Amino acid sequence: MTVSSSSTGELRDSLQEESARIQQEFEATGDGRAAVAARTQLVEQILKKLWLRLVSPQEQGPRNCALVATGGFGRGWLFPYSDIDLLFLFADRDAEQAFKDPIQRFSQELWDLRLKLSPASRTLAECDRFDPNNTEFTISLLDCRYLTGDRDLFARLHGKVIPKLVVRESKALIQGLAEVTRQRHAKHGNTLFHLEPNLKESPGGLRDYNVACWLALISAMDKLRDWPDASSLRAPVRKQLEAALDFLMAARCFLHFRHGRDDNTLSWEAQDEAAARKIGAPESPELTAADWMRIYFGHARPVQRAVEQLLEEIPDAWSSLYRQFQSWRSRLSTPDFSVVDGLIFLQQPSALQDPEILLRLFHFMAHHGLKLSTTTEYRIEQTLPALASTPPRGAELWLYLQETLLQPHAAEALRAMHSLRLLTLLLPELKPIDALVVRDFYHRFTVDEHSFLAIESLHRLNQSQSEWDKRYAELLGELEDPELLYLALLLHDTGKGEPGRNHVEGSLEIAEQCMDRLDMDPGERATVLFLIGSHLEMSATLRRDIFNPETVAAFAEKVGTPERLKMLCLLTYADMKAVNPEALTPWKAENVWQLYISAANHLNRSADQRVHGDVDDEKVARLRSLASVTSNKFKSFLEGFPQRYLRVHSAEEVMRHMEMANHFGEDPVQVELKRGRHWYELTLVTRDRPFLFATLAGVLAAWGMNIVKANAFSNQAGTVVDSLYFTDSFRTLELNLSEWGRFKRSITDVLLGEADLARMLRDRQRSEKGAIAKVKVETRIDFDHSCSSTSTLVQVIAQDRPRLLHRIASCFSDQKCNIEIALIDTEGQMAIDAFYLTFNGAKLTPEHCKRVENALVEELSAKN
Amino acid sequence: MTKVEAIIQNSKLEAVKSALQDIGVEGMTVMEVRGHGRQKGHTEVYRGREYSVDLIPKTKLELVLADPMVEKAVQAILGAARTGKIGDGKIFLSHIDDAIRIRNEERGEGSL
Repeated sequence: MTVSSSSTGELRDSLQEESARIQQEFEATGDGRAAVAARTQLVEQILKKLWLRLVSPQEQGPRNCALVATGGFGRGWLFPYSDIDLLFLFADRDAEQAFKDPIQRFSQELWDLRLKLSPASRTLAECDRFDPNNTEFTISLLDCRYLTGDRDLFARLHGKVIPKLVVRESKALIQGLAEVTRQRHAKHGNTLFHLEPNLKESPGGLRDYNVACWLALISAMDKLRDWPDASSLRAPVRKQLEAALDFLMAARCFLHFRHGRDDNTLSWEAQDEAAARKIGAPESPELTAADWMRIYFGHARPVQRAVEQLLEEIPDAWSSLYRQFQSWRSRLSTPDFSVVDGLIFLQQPSALQDPEILLRLFHFMAHHGLKLSTTTEYRIEQTLPALASTPPRGAELWLYLQETLLQPHAAEALRAMHSLRLLTLLLPELKPIDALVVRDFYHRFTVDEHSFLAIESLHRLNQSQSEWDKRYAELLGELEDPELLYLALLLHDTGKGEPGRNHVEGSLEIAEQCMDRLDMDPGERATVLFLIGSHLEMSATLRRDIFNPETVAAFAEKVGTPERLKMLCLLTYADMKAVNPEALTPWKAENVWQLYISAANHLNRSADQRVHGDVDDEKVARLRSLASVTSNKFKSFLEGFPQRYLRVHSAEEVMRHMEMANHFGEDPVQVELKRGRHWYELTLVTRDRPFLFATLAGVLAAWGMNIVKANAFSNQAGTVVDSLYFTDSFRTLELNLSEWGRFKRSITDVLLGEADLARMLRDRQRSEKGAIAKVKVETRIDFDHSCSSTSTLVQVIAQDRPRLLHRIASCFSDQKCNIEIALIDTEGQMAIDAFYLTFNGAKLTPEHCKRVENALVEELSAKN
Repeated sequence: MTKVEAIIQNSKLEAVKSALQDIGVEGMTVMEVRGHGRQKGHTEVYRGREYSVDLIPKTKLELVLADPMVEKAVQAILGAARTGKIGDGKIFLSHIDDAIRIRNEERGEGSL
C-alpha cells in the first residue's frame, strides 16, 4: 500500500483498511508468514511517513538520530496484535535532548493510531553497555533493522557496537538467555504437552524458536567476531524448524485475529475452530481438534528439542559448577557409550543395529539422568526404519523395559524414546494416546505426558522434603514388584484413545495386548490388570465416608492383599499428582493416606475369615476349573483356609500346594525353594504340629537367612502352608548350588526330629558378630480381641535382628498358643509381625494375654 | 441476600449439590477444609505409629442467595447431608449487603 496522506485521520483509515485486507488475505490463504510480512511492511510505511512529518522532512534524516526496528518487528515478524519494538537511537546525549520533543510527538501519534509501541531510547554508548538485569534489551538488538533516520549511525550500531558487545558478553548473554528459558519452561511444567498451550511462551513455542536462533547466532558471532551468514543452525535442524515455524506463525495469526488482541492461548474453543479451518495444515483431510493438536505437538516437539539441545551443547549455557559436575560424569562412560559434558555419544556408531544396545542406551539414560547428544539422536532416527520391520518383543523387551522403568530417571528416558518415535514402535499400544488432548476441567497435560509425569512423581518421592511424599516414599520402598506399578501407570489411561467408551475397559484391553507382546507371566499380568482396572477405585471411595468401617471394609475387600493395596495407593497418589501441579492438595493426600491405613489395618484384622470350598467366588471358581479332576480333594484342601491365603497366592500356586499335600505319603515334609528377583521363597507344606513355625524360622536363622516376609496358614484338616521370603545374608545359596539340597534337607531333618536345631543355632551365634542397629525401634506389643471371632490378634513391632521371628514364635509356643495365621513384614530395621493366636481352639483370655506379653517383653529385652 | 455456609461430610457433597440444583440453586463455591466440632479427632495406629486426625477433612459450601430462596436451600442441605450421627456438620447464615458481578458491574440480587 502507499500512505498517500500524512494526516492522522487518513493514516488511521488507511491502517484499518489495510489491516482488514491482511486479515481477509490470511483467512483466504492461511499463510501466516505472508500476514506477518504484510503487517510489518504496513507498519513500517506508516512509521516512515510519520517520521518525515514529525521528526525530519529529509530522507535519511536527521543526523545523529535513527529509528530502528528491534525484536519481532526487527525480524519482520509483526503479528496482528503484537507490540511494535522500536529503538530511538541517538549519537549522544545532546542529540537525545535535541530530538526529545519530536520523538514524543511521533510516539503520541502512533498511540493515537492505536499502534501498541514497545519503545526504547538509547545512545550508541548505552547500546554498548550490557545490563545483566536487562538481557532482553541486548537480545532484542540481535534482530535490529534500519527503518529511517541517520543510516551511518545505524551502521555503527550494527557493524561495530553489536558484534563487539556480543563477543565481549557472549558468556553472560548465553547464561542469561539459558536462565530465562529454564525459568519459563519450569513455569510451564517443563513440558510442551499442555491441553491448552500458549503458542508463544510454552516449551516448543515461538519463543523457543527464537531462543534457538539467538543461541546459535551468539555462538557463531563469538567464533567469527562478526555477523554470520543468515543460516546459523545446522541444515537438517533448520529445515525441520522452518516447517514448525510456518505452522506456529499461521496458528498465532489465527489466534490474534480470533481474539482481537495479543492472546496466544490455544483454548479448546480455538482448537475446535483451528481444526475446522485447518489452520497451518491446509493440505490435511478433515481434522478433529485432537488431530489438529497432534499436528501442533508434532511441530512444537522439534522446536523444544532444538532449544534444549543447544542449551546442553553450548558450553556457556550452564554455570561452571554444573559444567564441572557434567565433566565429572564423563567417568560414567562404558564400552558402548561415552559421556561428554552430560551428553551420551555412541562409542561405535554402527552399534545401534543391535536392538539390545539401543535398549541398553535408554536404560543407561534412565539410570544416570543423562541426555542424548544430537548425533546419537540422529543415529537412532536412522536405525528406526530397519527396527520397524522386526521390533524386539517378548520377555527380552520386558526385561529391558522393566529395568528402565525402575531407574530414577525413567520418565526422561521414556520421553526421549517417545519423542524419537521409538516408544510407540516398541509398544504400538501407546499410539492412541500419543499427544492426545482429552478435555476435562482438571487435566492440564496430554494423556501420554500425564502418564510419564505420574511415573516421574513416584521416582521423585525419595528426594522430596514434603511430609506426604516421605510417607508414600516409604510405601514405594516396600513394594516387591514396583516395575508392575510403573507399567500400570504407563498404560492406565491408554483407553482414552478410544473416545465414547469407558476408558478403564479400553485400557484393560490395550494392556492385555501389550502384556501379550511382552510375554509377561500370569501373576504379573493379573497385578497390572488389577491396578489398571481399579485405578479410579480409591478416588471413588474417597467420595464416601472413609471414617465409616463399612466403607473401609468394602474397599479393602475389593483390593484383597496388602501388597496390592500399597500399589493402588501409590498409583492413586501418582495419578492425582500428574493431573496438574495443584491437583494433589495436602487435604487429598491426607485422605488417601487415611483410607490406606484404615484399609491396611482392616486387611490385617480380618485375615482369619475362612474359605469354604463350595463358595461362589471368582478365585474359587477358577481353582475349581483348574482342579476339575480332583474336585473332592480340592474342596477338602481349601476348606478352612483363611481368605487371606487365597488372596496372597495365585491359583497356580494354590494348585501346587495341593499337589505337595498329595505327596505327604512319600514325604510328610514338603519343601520347595525358589529364587525371586528380590529374595528367596521357601514354601513348606506339612501337617500342623506344635512349634512348627518357630522351628522353621529357627532353621532359617541358623543358616544365616534374613526373613523379610512370611505367611503361615492352615486349613481345617490341619495342613499347613507356610511361605517365607528371605535374603541370603552370607550368599550361601547364591554361591553354592550344592547347598540348596542340604538346606532343604536340614529343614526336613529338624522338623522330623532328626537334627538338633538348638545346636545349629548355637553354632550360628558363635560365628556372628554383634551388629549395631542404625535406627532404634521401640518394642510395641498390641493385643486385639475384637477383630476375629475365633482368634486373638497380636501385633509385635520390634527392632529387626537375627532369630527374631524364631524367638517370638517360640515364645508363643512356650505359652501353649497355637499360631493360626502369621503375617510377617519388615520395613527397614523394623519388624512388623501379626499373629492370630488360639488356645485350645479359642481366643486367649486376658490373663493368658498378660502371660504372653510378659514372656515376649522378657524375651525381646534379652540381649540374645 | 444471605450467605449460606455449610460444612458437610465429604461423602455428602454430591447429594447436597444435586438437592440444591433441584431447587434451582445455580452457583456455589466448594472448598476442601479441615476441622472439628463435637466430633473430636480420630486415631489410627499403623505399623506402631499413631496417626491422629485432630482436624477431620470436611467439605464447605458457600452460596449467596436471594432471601426467599434461603429456607428452601437450608432444607435441601439438611435433607441431603443428615445421617443423624455426630459429624454431620453445620449451616451458618449471614446477611450480605451487596454483590457485584465483575464482568458487567451489575449489583444486588441481579448479579447472583
